[in-house]
Amino acid sequence: MLVSYNWLKDFLNMDGVDPYALAEKLTRSGVEIASTVHPEDGLSKLVVGHILTCEKIEGTHLNKTTVDVGEDEARQIVCGAPNVAAGQDVIVALPGAHLPGGIKIKKGKLRGIESNGMICGLQELGFSDSVVPPKYADGIWVFHDPDLKPGDSVFAALGMDDYVLDFDITPNRADTSSMEGAAYEVGALIDQKPKIEDVVLKEDGADWTGDFTAVADEKIAPKYYLRKLTGVKIAESPLWLQVRLWNAGIRPINNVVDATNYVMLLTGQPMHAYDAKLFDKTKKIEVRLAKEGEKLQLLNEKEIDLDPQDIVITDGEQAVGLAGVMGGLNSEVTEETTDVILEAAVFDPALTRKAALRHDNRTDASALFEKGINWDNTQKALDICALILRANAGATVLAGEIKASDLDKEAVVITTTASRTNKILGTDLSMDEIVKILGKLNFPVAVNGDEYTVTVPNRRWDIFIDSDIFEEVGRIYGYDNIKSTHPATGELIGGYAADEVKVRHLRQLLEGQGLSETINYSLTSEELATTFVKKALAPVKVNWPLNSARTTMRQNLICGLLDTVAYNFARKQTELQLFENGRVYDMEGGDYHEHEHLAAAYVGLAGESNWQHKDEVVDFYYVKGQLEDVFEMIGVKDVEYRAEAIKGMHPTRTAGIYVNDEYIGLIGQISPVLTMTDKNFAGKEIYVYELNLDALLPLMAKGVKSKPAPKYPAVQRDLSILVDEDVTNAQVESCIKENAGKYLVSVEVIDVYQGAHLAAGKKSLAYRLTFLNEAETLTDAVVTKATDNVQAALEEKLEANIR
Amino acid sequence: MDLFDRLKDLREQGLAEIKEAESEKSLNDVRVKLVGKKGELTQILHQMKDVAPEKRREVGQKVNELRDLFNEKLASAKDNLIEKAIEARLEAEKIDVTLPGRRKHVGSKHPIRIIQDDLERFFIGMSYQVVQGPEIESEHYNFEMLNLPKDHPARDMQATFYVDADHLLRSQTSPVQARTMEKHDFDKGDLKMISPGKVYRRDDDDATHSHQFMQMEGLVVGKNISLSDLKGTLELVAKHEFGQDRETRLRPSYFPFTEPSVEMDVSCFECGGKGCAICKNTGWIEVLGAGIVHPNVLSAAGIDPSVYSGFAFGLGLDRFAILKYGIDDIRDFYSDDVRFLQQFRQEED
Repeated sequence: MLVSYNWLKDFLNMDGVDPYALAEKLTRSGVEIASTVHPEDGLSKLVVGHILTCEKIEGTHLNKTTVDVGEDEARQIVCGAPNVAAGQDVIVALPGAHLPGGIKIKKGKLRGIESNGMICGLQELGFSDSVVPPKYADGIWVFHDPDLKPGDSVFAALGMDDYVLDFDITPNRADTSSMEGAAYEVGALIDQKPKIEDVVLKEDGADWTGDFTAVADEKIAPKYYLRKLTGVKIAESPLWLQVRLWNAGIRPINNVVDATNYVMLLTGQPMHAYDAKLFDKTKKIEVRLAKEGEKLQLLNEKEIDLDPQDIVITDGEQAVGLAGVMGGLNSEVTEETTDVILEAAVFDPALTRKAALRHDNRTDASALFEKGINWDNTQKALDICALILRANAGATVLAGEIKASDLDKEAVVITTTASRTNKILGTDLSMDEIVKILGKLNFPVAVNGDEYTVTVPNRRWDIFIDSDIFEEVGRIYGYDNIKSTHPATGELIGGYAADEVKVRHLRQLLEGQGLSETINYSLTSEELATTFVKKALAPVKVNWPLNSARTTMRQNLICGLLDTVAYNFARKQTELQLFENGRVYDMEGGDYHEHEHLAAAYVGLAGESNWQHKDEVVDFYYVKGQLEDVFEMIGVKDVEYRAEAIKGMHPTRTAGIYVNDEYIGLIGQISPVLTMTDKNFAGKEIYVYELNLDALLPLMAKGVKSKPAPKYPAVQRDLSILVDEDVTNAQVESCIKENAGKYLVSVEVIDVYQGAHLAAGKKSLAYRLTFLNEAETLTDAVVTKATDNVQAALEEKLEANIR
Repeated sequence: MDLFDRLKDLREQGLAEIKEAESEKSLNDVRVKLVGKKGELTQILHQMKDVAPEKRREVGQKVNELRDLFNEKLASAKDNLIEKAIEARLEAEKIDVTLPGRRKHVGSKHPIRIIQDDLERFFIGMSYQVVQGPEIESEHYNFEMLNLPKDHPARDMQATFYVDADHLLRSQTSPVQARTMEKHDFDKGDLKMISPGKVYRRDDDDATHSHQFMQMEGLVVGKNISLSDLKGTLELVAKHEFGQDRETRLRPSYFPFTEPSVEMDVSCFECGGKGCAICKNTGWIEVLGAGIVHPNVLSAAGIDPSVYSGFAFGLGLDRFAILKYGIDDIRDFYSDDVRFLQQFRQEED
């Protein structure tokens, strides 16, 4: 809502009220003021000119005019506007004048003809196209005000001396969406009671209510009032009224449309004017829900198929308007209109909102209806509108009005206490202070001891409960005046839940390993959501996705990391070590599930490339080593890696990760089928792992019980064996561990060889076994016995040759 | 030549030879020759029988003095030679210390995470619990429990991702408030919580909109929680996050789940309040929304609003990061160009 400072003067004494200071006050206490605009700012030397002569310059679209600008001599000005004519009062920018956009007017010559200034249209003064009256949209502005004299500054006449405050209104404060509402709000802040006057309308025509009927359902239109006026002469509105409209961002059209818009601005009550001729046949207006198949062409010429939940205005047969949203083209007031029927009504907010949304046709009126309007202003709005039409359009106001529905609204009465007010606000206000504050809002208050009762006027339909009153008291008292304190909550211990601590620990570990943390989108395609998982689960899909790439909640984090890899590759960043911690989602078994995951992706070199050429390229074992370090650091032991085929992963370079036979994640290379065919990946080897933290976190060690470092030396024995190439390290290691006795503390692979020096189908493996007895020095005999056992077992179970 | 002259000559000759020795080996030869078992001094002692008995004592003294002198000089010459050898070797090992080192990759924390972790620590320091809730949420918790009944304009289907008739991707972290209040046992003390997490809105992604972003919700409920407590708390947050010299202001605002509702602005950290492009010439930057928990929200969670009151606030972690680091495109957070991500390392603590 654009609120005119000058218009506020109708209601309040604004002497000494600085508009900018007022804007700040409103922002801090009531409604945020998004901007305060003084249209004449930066402009100068713009005066009224009277065109004495105007002649066409041959062969051009230009006119040579002489213009009286209140100086001794008339000025010669060349003007290209199509609507320029002798006898007009116009806007003249004198040489030296500043116009918006840093334009400065100079004396000059056009086609060799001297021009001492410029005759202006409103747009050239900074008016938005959307507010310039249609008649002057493509030419210069013409005044029709006999009081204006050549040489007068145009700023006051055009309302450019005003200050326009942009009220950024929250949904609950729709009461300030009118000048009267704004005046109440401003009045409360500058401690003045606004002069909001009732109107007295004297009807001057014959009664029209005898042969006209109107029907409205209270449920959809609790108030529905009509008046009829005859003898309307369509013309321009007087300038003062046009100024008020355009400063409020509304385009003046003609005296009838302008009157309805003006009343809406003034009272917040949307108005509609119908050409009465349309109802000559049926002599009836009916407000009802639309019927299936009904159609209507709106004033903006849009054809709509009405919905059974749309409220329509009809002439008893066909629809003539979409209630609260827009009138129909068939009932439009035109140049030929002589009689009008004026409507002031209250329509159901939800139905109006849905109709405007459904037909993608939100209007100023629908915006007001959907947020609620003042039920006490219907009569006043109707009467003021009639008065204005009589004054501006020479209309006769026929006697009588028709009220098809007229439901009253009870005032809200709220009783609370001063002590509760202070308790919620953290203030120490006396009852007198509270009453005084409510008085500023013009709310009647009755006091009874600590208790007070507020009768809320219908113009403040946002107030229902005591908390609403506390807000009013608090904001008018001023949030700046409220102390800053801290909650007295007694002894509480803050912190994370245990699992949250573990998750943050893991993130730190990965960051310490040199990985950059990423955050990716949860929504992906259904295909990617269910790739890179051991088993795809029932997917969670959104009902109206924004696009086909974001339809389904991810079941893995790898898909997001690959998006990030592709994005970076496209920007020539090809050395990547990334991770993400986040959730994956499924609806297995019909319920929604969310699981915390952790995943990493590696591409390129393990470290930065260097001039010594000591580069290490990332491969499966590098990434596995990093993951093993993580497991080591979180105390997760006995992790098993089982070769496994997983969708989207390299079929022979991928392992499922298991602890105690429970699957906790995967590690491996992204399938080359994917990286070779997608040009984003340029065939690079991408290695990833992904862990299900829901499974991993419970395995993480908690608490350390210290023990001294071993006092006795450990003994190492190396063991080299020859086995079939299909024998895995895991098989050998478990065979060693099962047979090496209780003093074996570690088994380390120290060499793997397969090639020319060995028989085909064979490979050589070498292990270093470390033995330690924490209680005494190990004897050679004990260790030898252990290794003999191991060798025997390897020979027997894996047909190994000991070398 | 008597023994005294020989000793005198030997002294000069010996000292000169020690001085001239250029390697440990030649020095050792000199040592053997002078003080060895068959060396010159030993030989002189062997000739003692030819010396008059009254002079023997003196000769003996002189020989010993000379031996001590030679040994001392031999030792220091040896030290000298070793030192020289080391020096020569170290000189040969010279490297160019200005060549760059061999580097590993250095990790980095996501900028939103930096803000999140920092705020979590800040609130934990004020004894808030960090609580999590589901992202696939029921309408019941996302809307109804928060005083947003059916047909409320804020419940537009257009704005929210529904996954079925009653479930949606949460559009705010506020449902965690409702869930936590419902479970909380006030006999065990008041409630102080924050809840960070992802939220979703049906917005097309552009420089200022993202269909996914991160919020942090805060809630305090007790028997004596007031708007002034909220004001004091929010001022601390603003100063902690945006600088001790920031001014703050509370503006009336509207949220269905709080009443009164406020928004907090901080004085623009770019221009200090004079007005610039960042604060749209207002001198103020909006940073968060808050308010006193609406009695309907307390009641819905089974808390008696005539006994308990509370405040709640919600802030955008993306928005904080955008403001704090001067980021101009929210999509940068989710496209994750590593050059973008890694510039925030110095912010970590």
